[in-house]
Parts: sequence; structure tokens; C-alpha cells
Amino acid sequence: MLRSPEWHLLIVWYFFLGGIAGGAYFTAAIADNFGGPRDRNVVRTGYILSLLMIGVCGMLLILDLGTPSRFLNMLGAFKFKDPMSIGAWMLGVFGLFAFVSSALSLGGDEARAGLRRKWSLVGTIFGFFLASYTGVLLSATALPFWSDARLMGALFLASGASTGMAAISLLLYLSGDSAGEGFKKVKRADRFAIVFEMAVLVLFLVLLGGAAAPLVSGHLAPLFWGGLVALGLVVPLLLDLLGGMRVPAVVPAVLVLVGGFVLRYVIVMSHA
Amino acid sequence: MARTLAMFTDTSLCIGCRACQVACKQWNELPMEEPEWTGSYQNHAHFTDKTYRLVRFIEKPQANGELQWLLMSDVCKHCAQAGCLDACPTGAIHRTEYGTVNINQDVCNGCRYCVSSCPFGVVAFNHDTGRANKCTFCNDRIHNGLGPACAKTCPTESIQFGFRDELAAKADKRVAKLKEMGYANAQLYGADTNGPLGGLNAFFLLLDRPSTYNLPEKPLLPQRNVFVDSVLAIGAALVVGVGAMVSFRERGGKGGGDA
Repeated sequence: MLRSPEWHLLIVWYFFLGGIAGGAYFTAAIADNFGGPRDRNVVRTGYILSLLMIGVCGMLLILDLGTPSRFLNMLGAFKFKDPMSIGAWMLGVFGLFAFVSSALSLGGDEARAGLRRKWSLVGTIFGFFLASYTGVLLSATALPFWSDARLMGALFLASGASTGMAAISLLLYLSGDSAGEGFKKVKRADRFAIVFEMAVLVLFLVLLGGAAAPLVSGHLAPLFWGGLVALGLVVPLLLDLLGGMRVPAVVPAVLVLVGGFVLRYVIVMSHA
Repeated sequence: MARTLAMFTDTSLCIGCRACQVACKQWNELPMEEPEWTGSYQNHAHFTDKTYRLVRFIEKPQANGELQWLLMSDVCKHCAQAGCLDACPTGAIHRTEYGTVNINQDVCNGCRYCVSSCPFGVVAFNHDTGRANKCTFCNDRIHNGLGPACAKTCPTESIQFGFRDELAAKADKRVAKLKEMGYANAQLYGADTNGPLGGLNAFFLLLDRPSTYNLPEKPLLPQRNVFVDSVLAIGAALVVGVGAMVSFRERGGKGGGDA
């Protein structure tokens, strides 16, 4: 006789966009610290994307409360072992990192690059946190499937990485910046993230065994197999590997984003 | 902290009159609800945001084909290790000085994390107020020297109120007595402070296995998963981070090392 928290689309969107925010940020920060001058478009796009996304995320969470001003109540407590409490605080901390990194990446002046790199390297931790804590939050409930999934946080992190990188590549493509070295590198990183996500997903399902039924055989199964596994992971990876085919680079990026949304949707809605 | 208070619900004494359910409604000024057809005398099927005490009517098939009534007045367990309390990000859910678990309605912000974190599905979201509701252990009454309304009204003393240690000792004797009388499956649920969730401050004497009453045999604290899952997520972050690093590193240039 367990009870659903009645989390619906607002939370699905939050989990999805929060993953993109975190993934885009740590991708940009890693590109900033380990890449070269030709990756500057990736760096700037990633930082600004994460800042915009985190703003949307905050609004989604506040809307979900019904009475917006009640979000202030979250600030009256700090509970270290509570994913929701830590998450609310880290959302603010991450927002600060994304804001400063974005601000320091604007303008042609690279004099502030050193400071930005150091700052963003620290921020990477919060990017990883934001992309993964929502999975841990779900597994720290009393509900079957959610609480049985030991790799929920890891899976959300991998998905945050693949969708964050896909979002950056999509933005670069749309802004006509898809010929450069940065675009190639972010695609390469995304390919790795997709493969890793597939590996984590397989392990996730194997570890769950029968508890994975809501995903693999319930009414959400067609969406899971079709939307996430096939369209969101296998197809974009194949399109990417068989680069010779005449498919615009925008297609795999969009598919990965759709897959990331479907992942959050099927998991959250399995207890709607 | 004051001495821990408890409610002991001895289901062997319950006659299914539902006076507790009514007394709870009245004292807590909980509004009426549409009745619910459950196929049995039970109403509602489960706790709601307006029903904190609920008499369960369980019909258990016997070997001879007849049904046996198992009656149980169910309530929030006020767990010593409470999933709802640990989940609450605002601190609205707190432990009182008597060891009970209560939701401060002014602080609750309606995030509903507690609803999914209760191993018994007790906490319910109130769509009218946008906040979470559950049994308060009649917080106002116990702070004024009165027992909870349900215990006060119970005509058969199936629900007893008192100090936890005294009630637990009493419960042990009662189980022994029932076993003597031939109730082989009589057992306590939540009386042991070394048991699951550190013991329940509203504990029960059951005449059958917990699962017969739709109770988890071994309720677990949801937060037990946080550490392991976080470590696994950190592992994933390292893999993803190294992958991105390798992808972005300038060939033969700077880079290398760890993030």
C-alpha cells in the first residue's frame, strides 16, 4: 500500500533539463580546461546553455509546488543526506557557477580565461551533481522499481552527459558553426557518452531483473524500447558511426535529446 | 527529550466498530469524504489526506473454505527511523519531544517527497491545501495531558496509549497469552526497538503474518540507498569526465592528468 508522489510532466521536464544543464556545463568546463582555442564555441555555448536551463529548472520546480512562494521553505533547512534538500541548495550553487562561467566567457577578451577555467573546474563537481542527484532522489524512496534501481543516479548522469553534449552540438549546428574542430570534438565526446549510457542501461536492467517490469514490459515499454533504446541510443550511434550517410548532424543530436526526455518520462511516470 | 510515548494497537481486541476512525475525524476536524466501495466493510481502501485512522477489514480464507475476519485499526507508525522525516527538505516533518512524527503544516511546501518515502504509504497529499497530511498522534492532546482521540474512544482497549517501554512490556505478555490460547501466529509488529526502522512508536499485535494485513514484512528506510547510489554516480562521473577529457584534449598539446 505505497503511494505515488504524483510527480508528473513538470518533474519530467525538470529532470531532463537539469541533466542538460549539468551535462552542458561539465562538457564546457572540460573543453575549457583540456581543449584548445578552437573549442571556444563549445565552451561558451555550454556555459550559457547551462545557465539558461538552470533558470528554467528553478521555475519548473517552483511551479510544481502549486504555491510558488513556498519554495522559500526549502531554504529553512539543510539536510546533508536528503537528496531533495541538498538538490535544492545545489541548484542555487550551480546557478552561481553557471552565471559566473557564462559571464567570464563573453566578449573576445581572453584575459579572464585563467580565472574562468579554475572556477569552472570547481563547478564541474556541481554539474555532475545536478545531472545525477535526481536519480539518487528517486532511488531513495519506498517505491518498488525506483528504490530497487542501484544505478539510477549513474544512468541519469550518463544521460545528462549525452543530452548536454547533444544540445551543445545542436546549438552549434543551428548557429552554422558545425564545420569547426569544437563541433567534431563534442560529437566525439557525445559518442562516448552514448556508448557509456548504453552500457549503464544494460547493467541497470540486469541488476533490476524482474523489478524492471514497469520499463521493459508494462504500458510504458513501447516508449522505453522505441523512444529511448532504439531512437534515442542505437539509431543516433549508428548514424554517427556510419558518418558517410547523408544525414544532417542535427538528426542524431535531436534523437539523443528525445531519448533523454523519454528516459525521464518512463521512469517518473511509472509511478504517476 | 521526554519519555517516548506510543500507541499499542492490539488487533485481537478490535471489534471493527470504527469509533477510532470517527473520533479521529472529529477531533482533527477532518472533512467528510465520498464513501468508497471496497467490496468489504472497510472504508476507505487506504489512508487519505482526510482519514488518519482506518479500520481494515481483512477476510482471510480458511482451510475449511470459510472466511476469517481479521480486524486492524491502522495508523501512522511514527517510526523511530522515519523515511518521511528524512525525506522532508523543509524540516516541516519533525520529531516531537515525545518521539512522535508530525508535519508542521505552515512549513510544508507540498513537494510530496515524503509521500513516496513512507514505507507504509501513510502520508497523503492534500490537494486543497497543497500540503502533506497524516496522523499527528493528536499532538495538541498529548501536549495537554490527554491521549490520542482514537485511543481514548476505543471501547475494547484495542488501542492503548502510554509510555513506550510500559506498553511494549504489556504487549509481550499479551502475545504469550494469545499463543497459550492457541493463536499460533500472534506476533508483535514494530514493538522491538532493535527491529526494522528502529521500532514503531505506533506498534501492533497481529494475529497473522504482516503481509496478510498488507503490511511490509520488513519495512526498510528509503534513505539506505543514498550512499551506495551516490558512490556509483560518482564512478559514472569519473568515466564520463575522462571520456570528455580525452575527446577534447589537444593532440600532443597540453592536457592529461586527472580532472
